[in-house]
Amino acid sequence: MGTSGIGSDTGSHSICHALPAGMKLLLTLGIILVAGLIPLEHWPAQGLLLALVFVGLSLAGVTMRYLVRRLALFLPLLLVFGLSVPMARSNDAAWSWTLSLWLRCTVSFMAGLWLVHVLPFRDLLTTLRYWHFPPALIAMLGFMYRYTFILWDELRRLRNARAARDFGGGPWWRVWSINSQVIGLLLLRAMERAERTHRAMLARGWDGSIRFLDGKDAG
Amino acid sequence: MHIRDGILAPEVCLAAGAISLGAITYSLRRLRFDLEDRAVPLTGMMAAIVFAGQMVNFPLFGLPVSGHLLGGVLAAVMLGPWAGCLAISMVLIVQAVLFSDGGLMSLGANILNMAVVGAWGGYAVYATIRRILGNGAAATVSAAVIAAWLSVLGAAALFCAEFLCSSRSAGVDPRGVLSLMVLYHSLIGVGEALITGAVLSFVLARRGDLVPTPNAPGSVGTIGRFAATGLMAALAVAAIVAPFKSESPDGLDAAAQDLKFDKLEVERPALVLDDYAIPVAESAWWPALPVSLAGIVGTLVVFIAAVVLAGITRRNVVPIRVADGSHGN
Repeated sequence: MGTSGIGSDTGSHSICHALPAGMKLLLTLGIILVAGLIPLEHWPAQGLLLALVFVGLSLAGVTMRYLVRRLALFLPLLLVFGLSVPMARSNDAAWSWTLSLWLRCTVSFMAGLWLVHVLPFRDLLTTLRYWHFPPALIAMLGFMYRYTFILWDELRRLRNARAARDFGGGPWWRVWSINSQVIGLLLLRAMERAERTHRAMLARGWDGSIRFLDGKDAG
Repeated sequence: MHIRDGILAPEVCLAAGAISLGAITYSLRRLRFDLEDRAVPLTGMMAAIVFAGQMVNFPLFGLPVSGHLLGGVLAAVMLGPWAGCLAISMVLIVQAVLFSDGGLMSLGANILNMAVVGAWGGYAVYATIRRILGNGAAATVSAAVIAAWLSVLGAAALFCAEFLCSSRSAGVDPRGVLSLMVLYHSLIGVGEALITGAVLSFVLARRGDLVPTPNAPGSVGTIGRFAATGLMAALAVAAIVAPFKSESPDGLDAAAQDLKFDKLEVERPALVLDDYAIPVAESAWWPALPVSLAGIVGTLVVFIAAVVLAGITRRNVVPIRVADGSHGN
């Protein structure tokens, strides 16, 4: 579909991938909910949950390197956010609040990573349809997913063209102005593309109602 | 910008999710009415544009981090509030499910803060300002710049409210978090306003026909628009003023201090101290001053940007042919 393999079926078939898509979603939501409800006094339970999520991640075939990289992007923000309460007024309540926030957020984040890894986008759309989400919304999500990779390629071409001409330099306001023009150009081309797509859809009998093929091809 | 899971309490997430679900359903109904059979491809494409546009990094004045477009106001200006709200919601859904960027349980809160406030609220401000300033290209850009700034501050204020609801039971003082968030968001808001204005100015100079006039029949009613605009302005003011207000003693304490009553009450000073003292004694005002300053400086910068970008747009709006590398297809 695109150059990026994100979210598409990566071909790995672990025991976690084999679960039904709806169950994956509910399981993740359940873990996040439980993590949000456990008070700090029961931190061993929180730790247990963390271990459980970690086991899930290793079962799903997530590499340690990927996990560390994602956590390295996520943890600094969380650290700053959590520290801002005891920094304004330090007492025991504030510190225990921060500690429980860190635990809760880390468990939830790792649970989210697990879901990202085991749930292909196509399955998500099928599940949402099964749960009777509005068909128009699902169709739009499918369109968006399809267009996103196209636009990323377009963006890469625009960036290459830019880099070939300005050598990537200049003061910040110049970079801002050029970047805004890149987004503007992307917007113009994409809107024109959407118009063309719409005309092509009309030519094929589109009347505004959404039909799905059976099975997994809903996206 | 994205709220992670675990920061808000589950019941707050649930409430925000219910509101967002209602907003999405309503947007979907209005969308079929507004855009008819073009709704699906256009909205899907707008979501993809915002998503791809967020990949473009803007350097932050020499800081090691970079900012990016949020796009709520931009999407609403291009396609109207209903499609804009849906487009941003879809971006948030995909980011949460595909990239683990923003929480799953707090998805509702994220949609409420960014899609509903960003697109509905931002559009209300935009439409109101355009009604006042007229339909010229310069007016369009300044209206969008101001709306983008207000939408980010509104989102920050809403987050503060959600966070207060969540942390009430924990018995901690969330002032530090709130100051941090507002400070951070006044910077983001300026960036968002600048990017939105510049992108829109570029689009207007080349394909002005793509930007619809907001006062078409079937759009938001005047009363609803003014109500939403007022609400957005109030939210933005609240975001700037809230940390400042909460720093000073409340009315009763202030009055007591003024009238020297606090000298008479033996336990009163201790209580006041306990309530308002911060370990570093001189820094009792530290979050308040930078936050208010950030608010004021941000507002000034945004208004200057609105005027400058409007001027540039007015000069550029004559359609010019550019060799932009388009394949002409």
